[in-house]
Amino acid sequence: MADPKQDAGKKSKFKEIGLPLLIAAVLGAIGWYFFPPIMPHVQLPAEKLTHHPLISLPMPIGDIYLTNTLVATFLVDLVLLALVFAVQKAAKSGDLIPRGIVGVFEATLEAIYNLTETTAGKWTKVIFPYFATFFFVVLIANWTELLPGVDSIGFLHKVEEGVHGYAAQGPFLIKQPGPYHVTPWVRVASTDLNFTIALALVSVFMTQVIGVRALGLPYFTKFFNIKAIFTVKPWWMGLIDFFVSILEIISETAKIISFSFRLFGNLFAGSVMLFVIGYLVPVLLQSAVLLLEAFVGIVQALVFGMLTLMFMALATHPHGGEHEEAHA
Amino acid sequence: MDAQSIITAAKLIGAGLAMIGALGGGIGIGLSANGAVQGIARNPDVAGPIQTNMILGIAFAEAVAIYCLVVALLILFVVK
Amino acid sequence: MEALQNLGISLGYLIVQIINFAVMFWVLKKWAYPPIMDMLEKRRQIIAKGLEDARIAAEARANAEKEAEKILAEARAKASQIVREASERAEAVAREIKAEAEAEAAKIREEGVEAAKAERERILRELRSQVAMLAIAAAQKLIGEALDEKRQHQLLNEFFSGVKDGKVTILDDAEDLPADEAEVISALPLTDEEKEVIIKDLLAKVGKEVKVTFKVDPSIMGGLVIRIGDKVLDGSVSGQLQELRESLV
Repeated sequence: MADPKQDAGKKSKFKEIGLPLLIAAVLGAIGWYFFPPIMPHVQLPAEKLTHHPLISLPMPIGDIYLTNTLVATFLVDLVLLALVFAVQKAAKSGDLIPRGIVGVFEATLEAIYNLTETTAGKWTKVIFPYFATFFFVVLIANWTELLPGVDSIGFLHKVEEGVHGYAAQGPFLIKQPGPYHVTPWVRVASTDLNFTIALALVSVFMTQVIGVRALGLPYFTKFFNIKAIFTVKPWWMGLIDFFVSILEIISETAKIISFSFRLFGNLFAGSVMLFVIGYLVPVLLQSAVLLLEAFVGIVQALVFGMLTLMFMALATHPHGGEHEEAHA
Repeated sequence: MDAQSIITAAKLIGAGLAMIGALGGGIGIGLSANGAVQGIARNPDVAGPIQTNMILGIAFAEAVAIYCLVVALLILFVVK
Repeated sequence: MEALQNLGISLGYLIVQIINFAVMFWVLKKWAYPPIMDMLEKRRQIIAKGLEDARIAAEARANAEKEAEKILAEARAKASQIVREASERAEAVAREIKAEAEAEAAKIREEGVEAAKAERERILRELRSQVAMLAIAAAQKLIGEALDEKRQHQLLNEFFSGVKDGKVTILDDAEDLPADEAEVISALPLTDEEKEVIIKDLLAKVGKEVKVTFKVDPSIMGGLVIRIGDKVLDGSVSGQLQELRESLV
């Protein structure tokens, strides 16, 4: 039974790969001809899905509408909660060999734990949950990009003018005249700066917290190294040390921007690339870009987590050693 | 030619110029891949850690290009 | 402020996102990570235990093998010892049997020799009277004069036994006889009275208790040869003939 199957497998290589590609190309060409894709509307802020704000708060905070990135965020929450339930179920069953998604989760956690252990040493237990949570939240947020319908299905609303307004003739629409915008119901959470900045703020803030936990109040001499003015021998060298320590504050702020804009930029660029490619070449090429985006998504999640880990591990080390290194 | 057209043209040119910065990111990615491949060729046993670090380094180098992209997007969509 | 708005950044959403992340962090930290870490730890322990068990089992097996080897060696040593002992015993038994058999054989042979000797002596003793008769008859024919029969018997007896008038003739002029075993050789068997006379005479000469053995040797023809210690007293007819021949030649 195995041999004919193998032979068939060799013969059906065309059937398995070539034929679907051919069919997809033909269908794509037909679709392209009859329903030309809409040039998507590129917009930085998240689109509001409701006319009335969910919560109205006094001015510094302002109104909070249900935006499409918020929807994606809750989607991420749902996936994570499902994961938690699966883990709880697996833990209750007492089976030491997790199966399915829990097995994947467990293997990833083990890898993350080992990575944390090599960097953080005795602070592994404290730093590990941050690394893992950042990794999983960012990963799942990034990978919502790969779901069909995300960024492409949504409300259609007419706009008066603008370069992006094209006649909407998509598969979900009746041919209508005039420029239209699609407001997708779900937009990748990482393409909202609020999401990335929130994560970056948490990361940098918790780094300070862990630094204080590890070193106590002397941790803040990293930022206000007044002692250096009196202890370092040539007084102007001490002054330089002091200003360097002030620079640390700027460096921490830069970390927030670097964290948030790296993630935002990668994912926003990815999204834009996906629908621009989809507009230009509706079939085949978008699939390749999707693969690339899957890779970018996991790499960005890993980078976010690992940078958090490194900064946190660095914060637990006393900074005397760093100084000598800097002078040497 | 009205003022709006000039502004639009300047925005497009500016966005394009901003993307020149992606050059640095490309060079950085090339250098890190170069170093990683040389390292793996000399000591294939540590290919795993080298690849991990290479990907991290590429992510950092790419971040520079991404900042350029962000600036370009800002110019295009944020500046009125 | 307007730039931030254009970027879509607003405090409200920021706070919502931070709270959202905090909640997710708390949920994951409380309910997702510990069970997994427990699972990993338990599995690690089970693996470690399995390895430890395997190590112990291997050790036990090695011990058992050593023990078995020891037992085997002991058994082998014991077996070889038993075999050696058995063979030794068998050898000893064989030797004993052989010695017994040899002794038996020697005894039988001795007995045979003894019997043969006795037989010959008996025959010679019977012959003695006939020889005496023949000699007397021959002498009567030669000298024609008949000695009285009693005198003739006496002469013959003296000739054969070397004992004259209750005395051993060759012992008369013998001196310095060593006190040793004595062997008395006669041509024909001696009577018990003659033997007694010889023993008595020898005792008188030596002055000490000596062991006397009697032997019959017809080749000496007549008379007695007494071998005592390293001395030989030759009173035989053949000895006298030899002396005669030597003096003639």
